Amino acid sequence: MCLHGIRKLDMRKRPRRNGENMEKNIPLTESMFYILLSVRRPNHGYGIIQEVGELTKGRVVPGPGTLYGAIQSMLEKGWIGIYSEETDSRKKKEYLITDLGRKVFYEEKRRLQELLRNAEKMEEL
Amino acid sequence: MITFRLYTDKEKETEYLNEMSRKGYAMTGFLAGFFRFEACRPGEYLYQVDLTEGFFRVKKDYREFMREMNVEIVCLWGPWVILRKKAVEGPFELYTDVESSIEHYERARWMFKIAAVLEIAAAVVELVCAANSQDKAVIGMTLGFACLLTALAIVFIRQIVRLDKILAGLRERSCVEPGNSGLWGRRKPSVLLPIGLLLNGIALMITETEGPAAFWFGFARGFLHVVSLFCLIAGILYTCHRKR
Repeated sequence: MCLHGIRKLDMRKRPRRNGENMEKNIPLTESMFYILLSVRRPNHGYGIIQEVGELTKGRVVPGPGTLYGAIQSMLEKGWIGIYSEETDSRKKKEYLITDLGRKVFYEEKRRLQELLRNAEKMEEL
Repeated sequence: MITFRLYTDKEKETEYLNEMSRKGYAMTGFLAGFFRFEACRPGEYLYQVDLTEGFFRVKKDYREFMREMNVEIVCLWGPWVILRKKAVEGPFELYTDVESSIEHYERARWMFKIAAVLEIAAAVVELVCAANSQDKAVIGMTLGFACLLTALAIVFIRQIVRLDKILAGLRERSCVEPGNSGLWGRRKPSVLLPIGLLLNGIALMITETEGPAAFWFGFARGFLHVVSLFCLIAGILYTCHRKR
């Protein structure tokens, strides 16, 4: 499952501003950022809510409506995929981030790092 | 226990359901304004109202997702779905961030917009019927319908105005483009809707009731009415059905 090497190569080869992609990837909402992070390993709906709550120490707790919309949207955009669907009586769909999802996430990480770097300038006179 | 309330403001409806739950009555069914309640422990359930893409049905994904979240689907009415969750499991809010709230309210606004347009179109049709008729009883009846339909349209438009205010407030807090986001943003009304209205209008203009060709005019009129009805219904269903 680990395709780190290939992915790194992929990101260097691609032009930094891929017109179509940049349009779609307006800044991620906080919920989407944390949901993507929560499916770096296969995770199901309830697990995602708990993990996001833990990561943000209770500050961000996605509601079912928000999470459902975000998951459908990310499935449509190809940022996450369905990892498994248990076939026993307690069906729990698990989701996993895709390569495209990781790419989007790292672009957002770069944007946030730039923000933080520039935020330091506020201390300058 | 059964009560009768008419709500277009979904926030008020949610408040009502939760208030009843606090008093020990859990809502278990709904039909055209009639709410059915069963006894429960005071405050046992928390209620929320959601808007889905279907009409009197929800997608399988949605159903499974809500079940996983321990959220119970109580009943459906048009695109609205009443959900409930046990209060012991914690607070129950559907949309917890600004962006998804905006999507939700935009969907609701869109739904009210379509409903208002259809009511106004139907009211106009009734007015045309009234204008074309000589029979006082028919004129009275069609004018009555027109008034009722216009009143409904006004109720829906008031909801749109209320939702616009909420959306303006939410949009100030975020950087989302209006109208283009989410699952409903790119939906277009089906072309069957104006076709249906046009056919109906044509049918109404046929007024020959005497003479040798009267039978065929009458036949054409009935035929066009039925076809236009099908177009309108199909147009509504097609518009509501998810399109990419």
